[in-house]
Amino acid sequence: MRFWLQRVAMAVLLLLSVSALTFGAMNILGDPLFNILGPVAGDVNNPDSVKLIEKAKAEFDLDEPLVVRYGLWLSDFVRGDMGVQFSSDGQPPVSDLIKERLPRTATLVLLAQLMAIVIAIPWALATASRAGKLSDRISTMNTFFLVAMPNFALAIILKFVLSIKLGWMPLTYVANDPLSSRLWQMVLPALTIALPVAAVFQRLLRTDLITTLQQDFILMARAKGLSRRRVLFRHALRPSLFSFITVVGLNTGALIGGSIVVETIFRIPGIGSSLVESVLREDFPVVLAIVMIVAVAFVLINLLVDILYSIIDPRVRR
Amino acid sequence: MIENGADVEMLLEISDLKTHFRTPRGTVRAVDGVSLTLERGKALGIVGESGSGKTILSRSIMGLLPRHGVIREGSVKFRGQEILGKSTKEMQSVWGREMAMIFQDPMTSLNPVMKVGRQIAEPLMLHLGMSKAEARQTAEKLLRDVRIPEATRRLDQYPHELSGGMRQRVMIAIALACGPTLLFADEPTTALDVTVQAQILELINEQRRDRNMSLILVTHDLGVVAGFTDEIAVMYGGKLVEKAPTKVLFERMKMPYTEALLQSIPRLDQPSHSRLAVIPGRPPDLVNPPKGCRFAPRCAYARDRCLTEEPQLTVAESPDHVYACHYPVGSPEYHERRVELSKASTAVGGSI
Amino acid sequence: MSDTDNLVHAVDTTDGGATNPADSPADEAVKRRLGWGFWLCIGWIVLMIVLAFLAPYLSIKDPNANFIDMSGKGRPPYGPSMDHWFGTDKDARDIFSRTLYGARISLTVGFVAIAFGLLVGGTLGILAGYFRGWFDRIISFVFVILLSFPSLVLAIMLTSLIERSLLTISLVLGVLSIAPVGRLARASTLQYADREFVTAARQIGATNRRIIMRELLPNVVIPMGALALLGMAVAIVAEGGLAFLGLSVEKGITWGFLIQLGSEGSTTLQKSPWIAFFPIFVLFFTVLALNFAGDRLRTYLDVKESAL
Repeated sequence: MRFWLQRVAMAVLLLLSVSALTFGAMNILGDPLFNILGPVAGDVNNPDSVKLIEKAKAEFDLDEPLVVRYGLWLSDFVRGDMGVQFSSDGQPPVSDLIKERLPRTATLVLLAQLMAIVIAIPWALATASRAGKLSDRISTMNTFFLVAMPNFALAIILKFVLSIKLGWMPLTYVANDPLSSRLWQMVLPALTIALPVAAVFQRLLRTDLITTLQQDFILMARAKGLSRRRVLFRHALRPSLFSFITVVGLNTGALIGGSIVVETIFRIPGIGSSLVESVLREDFPVVLAIVMIVAVAFVLINLLVDILYSIIDPRVRR
Repeated sequence: MIENGADVEMLLEISDLKTHFRTPRGTVRAVDGVSLTLERGKALGIVGESGSGKTILSRSIMGLLPRHGVIREGSVKFRGQEILGKSTKEMQSVWGREMAMIFQDPMTSLNPVMKVGRQIAEPLMLHLGMSKAEARQTAEKLLRDVRIPEATRRLDQYPHELSGGMRQRVMIAIALACGPTLLFADEPTTALDVTVQAQILELINEQRRDRNMSLILVTHDLGVVAGFTDEIAVMYGGKLVEKAPTKVLFERMKMPYTEALLQSIPRLDQPSHSRLAVIPGRPPDLVNPPKGCRFAPRCAYARDRCLTEEPQLTVAESPDHVYACHYPVGSPEYHERRVELSKASTAVGGSI
Repeated sequence: MSDTDNLVHAVDTTDGGATNPADSPADEAVKRRLGWGFWLCIGWIVLMIVLAFLAPYLSIKDPNANFIDMSGKGRPPYGPSMDHWFGTDKDARDIFSRTLYGARISLTVGFVAIAFGLLVGGTLGILAGYFRGWFDRIISFVFVILLSFPSLVLAIMLTSLIERSLLTISLVLGVLSIAPVGRLARASTLQYADREFVTAARQIGATNRRIIMRELLPNVVIPMGALALLGMAVAIVAEGGLAFLGLSVEKGITWGFLIQLGSEGSTTLQKSPWIAFFPIFVLFFTVLALNFAGDRLRTYLDVKESAL
């Protein structure tokens, strides 16, 4: 119990630090007033402008010290109020944008994670049981290629081959299509994110499997007369999954990073592409909100990994 | 001991079994031409130091070897059928069902993330076609057979929740599950506390008698095999160097190596704290084994001939006792050297 | 990872466990050689650096000039030809010379970023590992914070706050490499800080400064050297990603920017794939070479995976 309390406390502390730093950086390095009003912010001699400046300052509490503003922002944020978008007309709340776009990114990342796992496990099993043979060496070379391939380059290659030349996959995402075709349109983008990640997973799992396969209990399982397949799946796989699970959790960051690029290339309006857009438009509340959402997701996933860990390994349970 | 050959069922006949491993350093001749037989219901002890090839021999008989880089030649007949050339797939119906093995280290030989009950039930469902419920019931009965208290509760525990002795009992239960006719026990007590060792050996022996199994007990400890086997085979450097019925071997051992092994175990009739004889030197390199007798470089009784000419297996006074030595225990040359050695040691002792 | 790969080449392991007679001296030899693959990769990297450096002095085409063809080839983009080896983009600019010029920014960013990361991250990691205590705790927590963002998200956030010049982009990517480098440096320092030679130095009255500079640094630098090549690869890819998103050096030619030009709109990729694909190949081979060389070097120097 104490262990879990510590884990949760650490996660909260981490999120507080991340948000404080992000908020601080945005407000110190950036110029919030300029972001809200544009050129008007510098026009202090014009009484009309001054009026606008005063109004904005009052509305966004800009005269308060940074710490107070952070406190205000934080209390709003945890209640789901993420401020307003500066860049859109009428300043609609950021939460509207997030509500619309987050599900797409979440679907994409989830789909990619699933694909990566589904590809990596059989791949690792197949190569680990043939370690050192030609097929294993070819696979090792492939993983090297996949890991070295930047995701935007991979996206372009896959799009060119599978969508343009072969015509098997849809070219872009259409937000108004029915759910089933939207999911289908997500397959290629998710695959783009998943492939290099699967290569990383596979290499790790393969190494661990090879170690496990040298254990005494594997010989014991063979001596029981179990088939190769059964030995691999029932006896070798589960004890080999520990670091795999950790890395699956840690790699969520890479998936989210990958989704930013992939959303841009395949024109999926998710939070990744909105992060890029809002940075280009200097719409800080949106940037801040997205960064925080990503950080929260990241920290939560790692907490989840710890829980999963204890399910898989009875030895860490109490 | 000596039985009428006609109605004895020969369970295992091994002739000239070789098991070599290809490694970057060269071919390791782990087992180099071993012949043995074993009758149904009998217990055979295979004794030797680590590196003598005894473990590889037992695994090679069973066919439980890596798939690649292994050369396995000769003949292994199990119930009259040649099993040496059989594929892993064919052997899978034999493993666990006809032949089973108890491994050395119960700490590492049980799957750490699988409940004990499942591990016992696995071969039952596979070989005997039992349903999950039947297998669980049988597993519980097996746990009682190996005298594990609170069997029902143990079924749902993980190996790490059990003590070492208890885990070895679980391993025995797994091995016994399908009622094998041949049980291999590879150093089954080495990893256990001394107090538990005797219990485990007793349990194996008792189960062997009850189930009319044959047993191959692999160990480095002559003391262990003494009370539990009908026959003993001594291995050195991948070769069989002496084989005899247990009683005969202890009374009239021929190999200086066997004698040295015997002297290296503590005995109750010696005063406590008396020094144990240690065999000097190391087991031979099995990539480039010595030319003559493989034990010669370490043997106190070796002469020039031993270093150049390899001794063949010879029949001793009784026909079921064979050994491979030019100057066996009891020969004139042996006595001559022995006198010299004792003189030397008293001389050293006197000078102190 | 690859040390284990080499080890298992000798012994099949599925059915293994039974025996492990391979006492692997031969594997040891494999591990102790860098191999021709490594030198091939180094060769490519050196070639790229030389070409990038000499680009303005080589007699190649002006990367910003428009080579509109009047002899009836129609409107650009033109495909690869003797005149334009890699073809031209839709403004008839020569892709080959643009790719070489792109190497200038991409390689510089990669180099400066990892140099900055090694300097800052390495220093912090060594100090944290040497002094331990509260200093170590704070530094380690900072590393955790830095690592709790997906790196691309952090990079995007930072680039949004600055003027995007060659130096600032390099530094942003350098900041990203602080945490991974720092953790390795800290781990290696911890590994050495209790060794006899350090204790001995302390007993004869050496100052902390002297111990760190003379005893620890030489040992910690070795694993970091291998990491530098891998880190440079990561930085180059990250810069490519930023450039692709339009967030890298403003108005500069970089590989990511060239690739983005080749894939924008709905028909560019379909009608003139060479615009994107030649820079992709060059980028890919460079990153592959850095990765492979770094990986070989790490195996060669026997840097423990756990330390990473």
